[in-house]
Amino acid sequence: MTTPTTFWRLAGVSYVQYVNKASSTLRMALREPAKSKAVAQETFAYNRSQWTEGAQGPKTMVGKFSK
Amino acid sequence: RGGQPDEPSTFPSPPTTPSLSLRCRSPSANRPPAAPTTTMMISHLRRAASRAAPSVARRRLSTPAAPASGLMKLNFNLPQETLYDGAEVNSVIVPGAMGEYEVTADHVPIVAELKAGMLTVKHGGDGEDEKYFVPGGFSLTHVGSTTDIVCPEAVKLDDLDPAAVSANYEAAKSKASSAEAGSHAAAEAMIEVEVNKAMGGALGLSLA
Repeated sequence: MTTPTTFWRLAGVSYVQYVNKASSTLRMALREPAKSKAVAQETFAYNRSQWTEGAQGPKTMVGKFSK
Repeated sequence: RGGQPDEPSTFPSPPTTPSLSLRCRSPSANRPPAAPTTTMMISHLRRAASRAAPSVARRRLSTPAAPASGLMKLNFNLPQETLYDGAEVNSVIVPGAMGEYEVTADHVPIVAELKAGMLTVKHGGDGEDEKYFVPGGFSLTHVGSTTDIVCPEAVKLDDLDPAAVSANYEAAKSKASSAEAGSHAAAEAMIEVEVNKAMGGALGLSLA
């Protein structure tokens, strides 16, 4: 691998993480009607459900991942 | 027909190789008929090709036709929205990471990573310039005056809040100075500083 030359690469941040952080920074500086619409773009959540005997159990939203 | 076959000018001439005959010549036994050599096979192919439609062979690269009007075609896409889809515009000013540049019709093909900055679409003539602030992305200019620009977000300057930009800039600067050098948190703070500074520049604020 060639030596990384960008400050984010050197800190172990990938391009995708970099550009997503930059986009997030931009969205935080928006005025209100555009801001809520844009922030919705980056919001995400996970649902979890347990399958037993081929049937899906009830879905619950994952609050946080714990090890 | 006898003699040298006509060489169709549209085909690249293959490198001429000396006839390769890999059979050993046995001195005593009856020699079998000569194996077809490379040059003989090439001549066969050329004759067959010249009989085939030569006009099809002439175009070896497929390039999209440039717009006849002398304008360029712009495709500007975000993941959530398409801003321009094959629109014919006069030029685009692209904030490349290595420097800002303007793309017009018949521009040399170029691929550029974008930095946080202003992207301007010039319609030319009576049309107004459209300005967007982009946090990053990529711009690819192809042969045939087509440019594809992809960005994660693109906002109009009217939607930016100068007070929020200044406040976020100051907060990010203090975060960057207090964070451990070379850490993930420091890098994130520096990204915020960079983007807020670019936004400040676009809005005309003087952020130090």
